[in-house]
Amino acid sequence: MPRIGVFICWCGTNIAGTVEIEQVVNAARSFPGVVYAGDYRYLCSEVGQKLIKDTIKKENLERVVVGTCSPRMHEVTFRKAVAEAGLNPYLLEVANLREHCSWVHKDPAEATPKAIALVRAAVSKASLDEPLTALMLDVEKRALVIGGGIAGIQAALDIADSGYTVDLVEKEPSIGGRMAQLEKTFPTLDCAACILTPKMVEVAQHPNINLLTYSEVEAVSGFVGQFDVRIRSRARSIDPSKCTGCGICYEKCPAKVPSEFDMELGKRKVIYVPFPQAVPNIPVIDRENCLYFKRGRCRICEKECPAEAIDFEQQDEIIERRYGVILVATGFDSMDLTGYGEYGYGQHPDVLSALQFERLFNASGPTAGQVVRLSNGRPPQRVVFIQCVGSRDIARGQNYCSKICCMFTSKQAILLKEKLPETEAYIFYIDLRTAGKGYEEFQRRAAEEYGVIYLRGSVGKVFPEGERLLVRGVDSLSGRPLEIEADLVVLAAASVPRRDAPELARLMSINSDRYNFFDEAHPKLRPVETHTAGIFIAGACQAPKDIPEAVAQAGAAAAKAVTLLSKEKLQSEACVAKVDPARCSGCLHCEAVCPYGAIAATETEERVRGELLTRTVAEVNPALCQGCGCCTMTCRSGSVTLQGYTDEQMLAEVDALCLQR
Amino acid sequence: MSTALGKTGEVPVNGASPEKERWTPLIVAFCCNWCSYAGGDLAGTSRMDYPANVKVIRMPCSSRINPLFILRAFQRGADGVLVAGCHPGDCHYTSGNYYVRRNLSLFRRLLEFSGIEPERFQVSWISASEGDKFAGVMQSLTEEIKALGPNGKWRDSRWQSVE
Amino acid sequence: MAERRINNMEKIRTAVAQDLLSGRIDLLLGWEKGLYWWQSRPLFARNSEDLQRLTWDSFCVANLSGYLQEELKENKKIGILLKGCDSRALNRLVQDQMVDRERVVAYGLPCPGLLDPRLLKQEAGLELTALGIEEGEDRVTLTGTKGKSIAREELLLEKCRRCHHPDPVGCDQLLLPPVGSREDRSRFHQVTRLEEIPAEERFAYWSSQFERCLRCYACREACPCCSCRECFVEQEEPRWLGKAHENSENFIYHLTRAFHSAGRCVECGECQRVCPVELPLMELSSKIIKDINELYGEYQAGLDTEQDPPLLTYQPDDPAAFVE
Repeated sequence: MPRIGVFICWCGTNIAGTVEIEQVVNAARSFPGVVYAGDYRYLCSEVGQKLIKDTIKKENLERVVVGTCSPRMHEVTFRKAVAEAGLNPYLLEVANLREHCSWVHKDPAEATPKAIALVRAAVSKASLDEPLTALMLDVEKRALVIGGGIAGIQAALDIADSGYTVDLVEKEPSIGGRMAQLEKTFPTLDCAACILTPKMVEVAQHPNINLLTYSEVEAVSGFVGQFDVRIRSRARSIDPSKCTGCGICYEKCPAKVPSEFDMELGKRKVIYVPFPQAVPNIPVIDRENCLYFKRGRCRICEKECPAEAIDFEQQDEIIERRYGVILVATGFDSMDLTGYGEYGYGQHPDVLSALQFERLFNASGPTAGQVVRLSNGRPPQRVVFIQCVGSRDIARGQNYCSKICCMFTSKQAILLKEKLPETEAYIFYIDLRTAGKGYEEFQRRAAEEYGVIYLRGSVGKVFPEGERLLVRGVDSLSGRPLEIEADLVVLAAASVPRRDAPELARLMSINSDRYNFFDEAHPKLRPVETHTAGIFIAGACQAPKDIPEAVAQAGAAAAKAVTLLSKEKLQSEACVAKVDPARCSGCLHCEAVCPYGAIAATETEERVRGELLTRTVAEVNPALCQGCGCCTMTCRSGSVTLQGYTDEQMLAEVDALCLQR
Repeated sequence: MSTALGKTGEVPVNGASPEKERWTPLIVAFCCNWCSYAGGDLAGTSRMDYPANVKVIRMPCSSRINPLFILRAFQRGADGVLVAGCHPGDCHYTSGNYYVRRNLSLFRRLLEFSGIEPERFQVSWISASEGDKFAGVMQSLTEEIKALGPNGKWRDSRWQSVE
Repeated sequence: MAERRINNMEKIRTAVAQDLLSGRIDLLLGWEKGLYWWQSRPLFARNSEDLQRLTWDSFCVANLSGYLQEELKENKKIGILLKGCDSRALNRLVQDQMVDRERVVAYGLPCPGLLDPRLLKQEAGLELTALGIEEGEDRVTLTGTKGKSIAREELLLEKCRRCHHPDPVGCDQLLLPPVGSREDRSRFHQVTRLEEIPAEERFAYWSSQFERCLRCYACREACPCCSCRECFVEQEEPRWLGKAHENSENFIYHLTRAFHSAGRCVECGECQRVCPVELPLMELSSKIIKDINELYGEYQAGLDTEQDPPLLTYQPDDPAAFVE
């Protein structure tokens, strides 16, 4: 039996006011293994810690039990103190006498026996403590940023400026993301391209940024400091070292398909750059639609290219690389409005989503910047905007508020009025949410200066009447039904996570909420970290947000990432699972449930009737194990146990707590 | 108070005696460190009140539970056992509590099948922000088990407790 | 009937003899007659002489897959005769990585259900030594009792009566024509009855059962799911359980053993068949299977080795059997 010392803290009157300290100390003296029991007013103070350290030396203590506040509060403090006295820091147990005892039980006659029971359990557990050592892990000084929208761009630039190499992976042929699709930004009406393009160019030119467009993450393994990632860089069918970006290829290409960048309103060529300011300015061949790849004939681009850059034989490139940290900024999609047939979306050419409408303003958009009705090419005389399409819709859509729609709808109404001052703009809203610097003022300008008409209420149906559209709704302030004739109807579709977000979450073992937005580790205190150490999130992949928020979050996530990258070594979890190979039968059920892929099969040798046989057993990788203990639940023979919470210790605690009624 | 109960299965007489009024059940609660134990801490910092007969064992995750810990608690005289963890979807380790939900659902039904009143073994999801739920669960668990009386069914007749 | 049996026997023997003599397998696990007519015991056949003793009758009850692990240490490749339940046990062992399937040739024997000597004795009212049987298609005639004839169904072992999957699965070859799935008549019958009685009565029922347990661990030894190298009951560190004949210890042993087979039990019924004091052990596993089916979807262990066992997977919206 090891020599155990027990220290009971008064915590001023926090514990001592309810728990009879002397009784607890006296009881502790009688517990098996206890060679010292004492108390102090504030154990966490320097003097208190010195008492512990001195007593460890004086009494030759081999295990320490403190009866104090919650271990979630000061376990680290006391572990440090114990370590300073030369003991392994994991030879310490904490009995929670404050949060779980003195603060919740008012009667000393109840609190004192409970305190004694808790100390008894801690002593029982401590007597079975074994020294544990954490591993010191290397940190790969390289970051991976997934997603090349404004958040990913900002994060990559910030990390790169700190001196670390960054790989920025973007699925599309160009970086820029959603912001690149916007004409202007609220509330300043800055031209989106004017503020975004310089950043995109900076990314391309930054010596520390390695840009991987038209690329996707396929596999992630490893752990903080050492993530091993497989990236597929899809074949562009163009040799980037030869391409000059002259654009002759897409001028000459005979095949056209709907343009994703223009939200399918316009057409693009099959060899294309998504938009004129694309970075990199190197086209890709969309092999699914390319006539040569489909039918084996054409190759016009190849004939026309003056640089001989077209390469039909190019293969996808697989990049396998190690990263210290991963930052996820995959952004959002505009919700698919197929379920909203009552607004005529997808049935009538003059019913558009907000992002489609935005493209009409853009000089390089489907109408070359003309705001016209797609049904007849004439400018609209009246436009009705409907907010909260999908957002705040418990029955069919997303329960949440998409946050940016109130503002971008006002912005689009202003842009419309600037372009076509005579055109009327009506906005149906449920509530107007304009929290943000300059936002409320912006919305008021829309109403007061530009004469945009705001109607509180909802729209039940939009249907064609003659050449126009009839919008039928209710004014919820007056309760009166409303009918408005319109030439264009614009739907503020909810912001939803990217379609492949669940797949990415699974690849990286990060959590998502019920809508598939990635979850932060703590909603208030750890807003850009995930539950998986070393993986950070920024931008609209976490929840809908506007540009300034996304940029701020990207900066914060980059700072967190850099903090990690700047460390020489990272300390791993010490309380990790451990397999007893002699007992393990190798069924590997533990491997199936381990959330970190920390368990794998290994071979062990044993002698059977004089012969050396090998057999399979499970093995824990202590660098990967985070110490949850889920493996132990599946192990029928108890061959895998969790250090710091071993089966013996858990049973000892149960026995100790049950010993005293 | 000595609690040697004689042969397993014999529940001490418990009519409406003052003895029964005074009797408090022993409840062992296995709580995960990140949610339920933290919820317990919050109940403390919020100075909530719940019965002192509930004693908590801290585990990293509810998936550290082993049904044998629960059986041992009953055998050693616990009148009720609680396992508490993060809400599904909120597990600190991503998925531990999903496995717990399946495991302990089956185990709870098996216990009931063996003749244990289901109230004696409960599972609850308590988040770090649910101090009130933590206190509430402890309160109602105590009341339910108090109504049932002491658990003699599983007790090891050789096990003696101290006062 | 007798002729058919002889024909069947020849078919089986020819098939396995070919493999054994050609060296495709080093050992055949089958059955041979035991000391008495109501006993067929495991046969470890290595040559054609051994094969002459091979038998397949209504008493070939032992699940031979339990021998594989040990025998594979000394033989390169083993052939094994498997009834429906035995085949699921083999699949279970493969899924638990206990047996390398590549080194096993599995011969499936679709099974019409086996006879329970205890019932024969009961029906005849005679010692088995004073008795004989003649098996017809659906009926069994007890010789030595003035020709009493009983429906075969009535004389089946408990495990065969509740069997709903008598055809072997995942075998390399089926040696006899399939018998088709059986009507699932009594699989959860007793479980449901026990679920319906008050907790106190249920406890009394199990107490009276477990009190009789000898802790001989025959149930564990016979179970194809019990593949631990060191069972929890025998471990000293930690000491999960005492060894005394104490009712709480017996409860814990049986509940834990049953729970360790949760999602893995193939319902071969060997635990109950080998129990010397006839404890109704299948009810514990059946209870768990019933609950798995109700809560997490139908699952039959050993049918499909690719399907995840129910306790090693989850759905985010799984139901719970507790107030969450």
